[in-house]
Amino acid sequence: MQNITRIYALSKRNVILRYKNSLVGFFWGFFKPLLYLLIFIVIFKQNSGIPHYVLFVTSGLILWFFFSNVTGQSVGSIVGSSGLLKSLNIPAYFFPLSETIGELFNLLLTLFVFLIIMNWFGIVYSIGMLLIFPCIFLFALFALGLNLFLCSINVFFRDVGIIWNTVQPALFFLTPIAYAESSIDPKYKMLIQCNPIYYFLKLGRCILYDPVLPAWHLWSSCIIISVSMYIVGQFIFNKLKNQFISAI
Amino acid sequence: MDKDIIIKVENVHVSFWQNNVGVYSLKDLFAQRKSPFKTKTILNNINTEVRRGESLGIVGRNGSGKSTLLRTIAGIIKPDKGNVVVNGTFAPILAIGAGLEVELTGYENISMLLALYGTKRKNTNAVENIREFSELGDEVLRMPVKQYSSGMVARLAFSISLANDSDILIIDEVLAVGDQGFQAKCMEKIYSIKNQGKTILFVSHFPDQVAKICNNAILLENGEMIHSGNSIEICNKYKQLF
Repeated sequence: MQNITRIYALSKRNVILRYKNSLVGFFWGFFKPLLYLLIFIVIFKQNSGIPHYVLFVTSGLILWFFFSNVTGQSVGSIVGSSGLLKSLNIPAYFFPLSETIGELFNLLLTLFVFLIIMNWFGIVYSIGMLLIFPCIFLFALFALGLNLFLCSINVFFRDVGIIWNTVQPALFFLTPIAYAESSIDPKYKMLIQCNPIYYFLKLGRCILYDPVLPAWHLWSSCIIISVSMYIVGQFIFNKLKNQFISAI
Repeated sequence: MDKDIIIKVENVHVSFWQNNVGVYSLKDLFAQRKSPFKTKTILNNINTEVRRGESLGIVGRNGSGKSTLLRTIAGIIKPDKGNVVVNGTFAPILAIGAGLEVELTGYENISMLLALYGTKRKNTNAVENIREFSELGDEVLRMPVKQYSSGMVARLAFSISLANDSDILIIDEVLAVGDQGFQAKCMEKIYSIKNQGKTILFVSHFPDQVAKICNNAILLENGEMIHSGNSIEICNKYKQLF
């Protein structure tokens, strides 16, 4: 119970810090995906041949920006909390965890707004849409695993944060967000299939965009990817956590 | 274990990874092809115990490992070897404002640290007590901490660490920055806490304060405990170091 209070306090701090001194605070979170959406409509919509293109892109963008925000913020979470870590006996994993939880709330809120607005862009509401919750849970578990890995390495090599910011756009275009999977040259299909985010995106899009239930093998690959990422991240984090204090 | 012993430190050995010269990034790691870290011993073979209601002073030169020892006792740093057994709860170590979030206001810091420390939500008096003790006005507490003077930061930090009703109070050089009035007030508060039968771990560069507050003291030099015993003797030894 006490831990829940602590994680809540940390998440609250993250939210306050993120939008401190900014004019419309929370709404900037909507602004970025909107901008991307407009760009994609201008560039890709004509040639894509995808029905309900706005719905197609937005469902991908929501999931991508959750991932991009949560990893971008968590990379520096341990380094940025040096004062607290040095003065209180709280487990270090609370920091990436609270970042992930804070962003998760953001995602749920965005999703709610999305579901209402997409009414005008051809969304088909169904009971199967509730499957988005386990999908988000798996994606968040994957992100948490990656966050644990990134933030612990970043303590010792500060360029991890910079590298991650550089790699992100490449990952973005390797994930079929703005274009259909089928438009990729079969030669390079492997490249996309190596990208773990692709599977989560496909799962989420099955639920939100296609009115079909996702296949079981898609579920199982998502479960395998997220659980193994979490185990790897937690393992590396545990190996390094005793030395955090000396390096921050 | 003896019920009376609140802190027991046995053979504690702490070492840190230290960046090798110049290896601060992956670039250097690949360019120089040597192990980026070496271990540096910070504390070596520390043994001490504190009984309930007693106070322990820790003195030593800058960099002798005093703060590391405090953090090890508080459980923030895990020792490589040896044991630390503690039978009580700690107040946060707010060494001259570390732990305060400079972007947040005084009130936001108070509520965050109280929640992180696990003070009960119902204890609404806590905020009031902190404000009263720190003598910072309502207006000041609404400002971000980055705009505080160092004395104001120390006041806030010390007041927050006092607000928790914990068994062990850790004081890490907080008194050095406050003005004379606040220093006197803090000393008074420390005495009253001591009289309540609580345990105090006290780090200071003023041997006279240590001698007054603490029963026992230890003297650290390069991570080794070179003397321990009665605080007055230890403080004299500390003075002879210079």
